[in-house]
Amino acid sequence: MDELIYTLKQQIIEALNLEDMKPEDIDENASLFGEGLGLDSIDALELIVLMEKNYGIKLKDPSQGKEIFKSVAVMADYIAKNRTK
Amino acid sequence: MEPILITGMGVVSAIGLGKAQTLEALLANRSGVGELKYLKTEHKEFPVGEVKLSDAEMRERLGIPQDAVTTRTALMGMLALGEALEEAQLSQEMLPKVGFISGTTVGGMDMSEQFYLDYIHGEAHKEYIAVHDCGSCSEMTANHFGKFAFVTTLSTACSSAANAIILGANMIQCGEADIVVVGGSECITKFHLNGFNALMILDTEPCRPFDATRHGLNLGEGAAYLVLESAESAKRRGVKAQALLSGYGNACDAFHQTASSPDGEGAYRAMSEALQLAGLQTSDIDYINAHGTGTQNNDASESQAMKRLFGDHVPPVSSTKPFTGHTTSASGSIEAVFCILALQNGFLPVNLNWSQAMEDGIVPVSQPTQKELNHVLCNAFGFGGNDSSLLLSRAGHETRDFETRDEALSRVPRPEVPCPIYVLSAKQISIQQPLSEEWMDQPLAYDVPFTRSIDPSFKDYVSPIEARRMGKILKRALATSKEALKAADLETVDAIITGTGYGCIENTEFFLDALSNEGEQLLKPTYFMQSTHNTISSLVAIQTKNHGYNVTYAHKGISFDSALQDAWWQFQLGKIDTAMVGGHDEMTETFHHILKKGGVMGKDEEMCGEAAVSVVLSRHCEEERRSNLESEPLCKLTGFTMLHQPTINTLMDAVTHLLQSSGKSLADVDYILTGMSGDHEGDVAYLKETKTLFGDKPLLKYKHLFGESFTASGLGFYAAAQCLKAGRVPASLFVKQEEVTDKQPKCILLYNRSDGKNVSLTLLEA
Repeated sequence: MDELIYTLKQQIIEALNLEDMKPEDIDENASLFGEGLGLDSIDALELIVLMEKNYGIKLKDPSQGKEIFKSVAVMADYIAKNRTK
Repeated sequence: MEPILITGMGVVSAIGLGKAQTLEALLANRSGVGELKYLKTEHKEFPVGEVKLSDAEMRERLGIPQDAVTTRTALMGMLALGEALEEAQLSQEMLPKVGFISGTTVGGMDMSEQFYLDYIHGEAHKEYIAVHDCGSCSEMTANHFGKFAFVTTLSTACSSAANAIILGANMIQCGEADIVVVGGSECITKFHLNGFNALMILDTEPCRPFDATRHGLNLGEGAAYLVLESAESAKRRGVKAQALLSGYGNACDAFHQTASSPDGEGAYRAMSEALQLAGLQTSDIDYINAHGTGTQNNDASESQAMKRLFGDHVPPVSSTKPFTGHTTSASGSIEAVFCILALQNGFLPVNLNWSQAMEDGIVPVSQPTQKELNHVLCNAFGFGGNDSSLLLSRAGHETRDFETRDEALSRVPRPEVPCPIYVLSAKQISIQQPLSEEWMDQPLAYDVPFTRSIDPSFKDYVSPIEARRMGKILKRALATSKEALKAADLETVDAIITGTGYGCIENTEFFLDALSNEGEQLLKPTYFMQSTHNTISSLVAIQTKNHGYNVTYAHKGISFDSALQDAWWQFQLGKIDTAMVGGHDEMTETFHHILKKGGVMGKDEEMCGEAAVSVVLSRHCEEERRSNLESEPLCKLTGFTMLHQPTINTLMDAVTHLLQSSGKSLADVDYILTGMSGDHEGDVAYLKETKTLFGDKPLLKYKHLFGESFTASGLGFYAAAQCLKAGRVPASLFVKQEEVTDKQPKCILLYNRSDGKNVSLTLLEA
């Protein structure tokens, strides 16, 4: 799981173009949206693309992301359970 | 305001070709949205509102050879424009006195997305490279019918056509033009179908605006143009009004690039402004044609805006997008035509597919209703919160209801002589030292065909988390805008008006790369949302929390000039006191290679660069309020005009008129600043024309220092303003070294002939 979390952080940094950020800077239990990292709805769409591209998980409705993208840890957990690649 | 007459209109959309078919479909509640047929895409799952003709069939109808270079957006535009000109009885001979303002965002993307890899790797289809941009589409549409007096292009995403109507109305109000043809055209492309898909706002079912079960929009396409005319001109020509444009408003939501604010601030302001300009009350409005796209966000936000403005008495509302799909840039003028048909025929268009009220939403018209209509609002909102609203009235209301002509004139002063506008500040980022005037003493010299700008550190202007979705062009625009505001000692301005020839090319390229190489799956929404031209202007508004007037022009080498023109007329009308006019273009290696191949730029010794210019203009000098030296005005803008394909005689007249109206003669002009760039043919034309127009006036040039780019003319404006401020012209700017002098410049005339087709004249004085 730790390895997945680390890889996921790297992928998030790349997908969202978070310049100057390293995986260590992201707290996997902190909220990705709102108070925490301060991401918004477009970032959520980028995370949907990221999950489909890297893990073969398709989300049909962006509102599903609300639960899944709570934090990196929650996201990693969802990926581990649902990945098809 | 005194209402402006609409003396002709033409329309093409999924529900028909021309007004007769359109009216019939609207009355019969017959939607044109259905299975995708003409666009070559994998995304067959999305219903669309296509115009029911192939490109070949459109060419045949218009008498355009099958092998002639054109685009679907231009073809649809021609179909609509032809109908509008015919109704207004405007023949080819009359067009040199008529302006043409069109709105589009995709431009020639339908061709670029098919031939992109050929553009990069081969020679095939390279003739289409020159029609990639928005401005080319407008020119092809216009030139099919003759020579218009001037042509320019608005690009504010889905409100483009509405904003074209607003510019035309401002020019008529100023008395600058008697007749202006305005509207927009946009075909569906794979590019934006996939872009909207990446944003997950396309419905796989027919769209249901304002319904509880709404799940996104259906894309549509089409074109519509209105002939706007002053009452005097219509009377003189003996043409009658089909309807009236009696008010309009433009405001920026300044909230998010792709989402509307929860309280619909921009929409509320745009509608309020339209009512105020017309001198009407909310109770006078009989119908609202909503933007109503069918997305969760738009319909909730627009409902709030309508409720805020109309309280418990919201008039009947419908979205006609279930008929046509969302015709994006053209929707403002297409739906204005629907409103006029409703005014003329006394009915409320139905909001098709609606069955269930949404929470806190408005309840739209769901049954065919006959009703006499006098005044209606037509909304068009675009990405970046570029929100506009038009107030259309039934013909016959010219004298009733509104304030009298005298009242209108007393409220909107029309000065006999243009009032001078102070240039408070001008900042640049280019291939010279950024945000500095070092080039005046130590210009950097290049010997390369193309180089990118020298960027300052952007950390002072934008935080890393904000920067995540900003290409270079956006960061530069923010930096120059913030520095220009600071130097002008202003917190904010009344209007943000931007010119960009090609917009955010870097992100457009990323999106085209992915589309061409990886196919139509898993495209990044970030690339798409940044690819619209108005991203720059709306980002500046979002970052400076500016809800004022906000538009973007995308018309080749006169994009900056068009933005300046818009500001100029609004200053003259007294609508604004301050404005920020920007010129922003970036260039990538790939696009430079493509554009060179297409003969668009990079000919002969022409060096290409990038441009970021922000200029703050003000009606007032207010010297007492400005204490430090930097905020004293750089110079005054005292005259501006723009022409399309002028003859040398037309140009002479324009120069005479420009100088006369600002109380000057040619003897007062010290220098002519040309756009000579090292392109032999262009430079020879510059020398020849300036000789005829200005005799032996010393010529200056700036593109050898700043490079060629679509908004390089903004850098020319900047350079001239700095010379007037400094009281000297650096030797490096003189075309002929023997003319170099340390004489203090008092007056510089900027002469920009963009690719020989569009000319602008700008007068700057110390």
